Amino acid sequence: MSAPAPSRAAIEEFLYHEAELLDQWKLPEWSELFTDDARYDIASLDAADPLTADPATTLFVLSDDKPRIMARAKRLMKKTAHAEYPHSKTRHITSNVRIGPAAGGDLPVRANFVVYRTKGDRTVHYMGEAHYLLAPEGEGFRIRRKRCNLDLNTLAEQGRLTIIL
Amino acid sequence: MPLSPVADRRLVQMDPAHGRFRVHRDSFRSEEIFQAEMQLIFAKCWLYLGHETELPGKGDFLTRRVADRDLIFVRSRDGVLGAFFNTCTHRGAQVCRDKRGTSKSFTCPYHGWVYNTEGKLMSMNANRGFPADVNADGGLNLRRVPRLEQYRGFYFVNYDANAISLADYLAGAKDFLDLMCDQAEGDIAVVPGEHAYGINANYKFLCENSYDGYHLLPTHISYLEFLDEQSKLSGKESAVAFLVNEYGKKGRGRGLGNGHGCLESWVASGRPVAQWIPAWGPELKKEIDATRARLEQRFGPERAGLIADVQKNLVIFPNLVINDNVGFTVRVIEPVSATSMRVNAWALAPVNESPRIRALRLDNFVSFLGPAGFGSADDVEMLELCQRGLLHAPVEWNEISKGMTDADPRTASAGPDDEAQMRAYWAQWDLLMRGQPAFSTAAARVA
Repeated sequence: MSAPAPSRAAIEEFLYHEAELLDQWKLPEWSELFTDDARYDIASLDAADPLTADPATTLFVLSDDKPRIMARAKRLMKKTAHAEYPHSKTRHITSNVRIGPAAGGDLPVRANFVVYRTKGDRTVHYMGEAHYLLAPEGEGFRIRRKRCNLDLNTLAEQGRLTIIL
Repeated sequence: MPLSPVADRRLVQMDPAHGRFRVHRDSFRSEEIFQAEMQLIFAKCWLYLGHETELPGKGDFLTRRVADRDLIFVRSRDGVLGAFFNTCTHRGAQVCRDKRGTSKSFTCPYHGWVYNTEGKLMSMNANRGFPADVNADGGLNLRRVPRLEQYRGFYFVNYDANAISLADYLAGAKDFLDLMCDQAEGDIAVVPGEHAYGINANYKFLCENSYDGYHLLPTHISYLEFLDEQSKLSGKESAVAFLVNEYGKKGRGRGLGNGHGCLESWVASGRPVAQWIPAWGPELKKEIDATRARLEQRFGPERAGLIADVQKNLVIFPNLVINDNVGFTVRVIEPVSATSMRVNAWALAPVNESPRIRALRLDNFVSFLGPAGFGSADDVEMLELCQRGLLHAPVEWNEISKGMTDADPRTASAGPDDEAQMRAYWAQWDLLMRGQPAFSTAAARVA
């Protein structure tokens, strides 16, 4: 008999937990949410289809495997990660959670996001759709894949993408 | 020639006797000077538009802003590349609203005038009201950019019909473009995808930063530490130790004529053509070593070494960066105001390289470069710190003196962590801003 399907409440709770870790700059803990074979990707903002774009054949904005997810988290905690010193204040808003049918034990989950980032006296925002593949583990989940598709054509206003979406 | 509003101001001070080179900070903050730059520099110099591989098929087009002018770059139905101002000759509407695409014609959405891919007006969407010979002189065709020329597939425009040729303009930069392009056994191409972002700083700060070997340790220490952890290097073997102890001993920064300059440096951060590093594993070693061997067959060991081992940061005056280091990249810096710029960057790659080498190349690129890279974003922070610092302080001069000699700054050479290449830029900038003759057509062979 297979385990009961995870509840919407459990999935949403997990996404909110991830957002809270990010807003609290608990990045090493955040990086532990990912499976060893995980990927965190953001395709080029002009990709014809950012969901299927391949970082091995097209230029991405961000394309991390697990070691680089951990390295990114580690680096951003350093004072010498100048772009994020002092750390931006961020607020991750996650909504419109849609849960797909389980595929090979993993759960495809989509969520809309808006992230506000303030550094100095300047506030910018990043919005889009996050596509997750969540791997159920014990009572909770780990992230096998996270791809953020931004509803932006350029980062003319935002400048940088040094926070984690 | 427009009268220079800064002809009587010495914004660049060169004092070789005392080893000093200074640039007045108004050059980074004055809107009046910025407007003068648009007229005296950007309306006269060759400006990068795009690479021929971005428009592979007939009718392929893209739209780009180049020095505050919106252009259409299009391959005609005869296969010829052309550049036009993106404005209908009727009332001015932009006739092309897509960033890129393929089309047989451009139709103005306002009154329906139709232009073909050679810019010729084909229809005015009216069967009465205009004289039959209304466009006899072609004056109602899409306006062609005065000059469009290319070197090794890199297309540039010039808004000055009387400009010297692109080949002459590029001077010694041609040799570095050759070295970069010769890494490919075949053609190079732009890889799909781009980085497009804004920086709240004067565009010249990014020009300076793009071939600055002096900032690497303090600005990029966290990237160097990442490299060391990735390759499990420590102590004397580490990238950090290399920067501290070895970097300045080999390589150089130099002017290449007409304001261009290049930083040549030896940093073993790994290159798909053709410098293997342990982090890439033994399988790739065979392939990269084989590429290196073929490179030596094609060019001999010396030139092969210049291609494979030397990281090149090339700045083509006034706003193009072509770097062949952790990535092979075209970076165009679009000035927006005295205190802001926009950056577009693309990845270049040999067309014939293997899929795993391509993947490695792109991964290398994105790890350091771009708005989420472990390097570029920290550079951007430095440029914005510079801009904020000099906007709000009465200090008048920026120092660009490191490694200053009494040689002609436009072609002088110094160490990789000196500032000779930036002085080459500023010396040219100074001549143009004062309305002085600035372009040399003398062939400069450097490599």
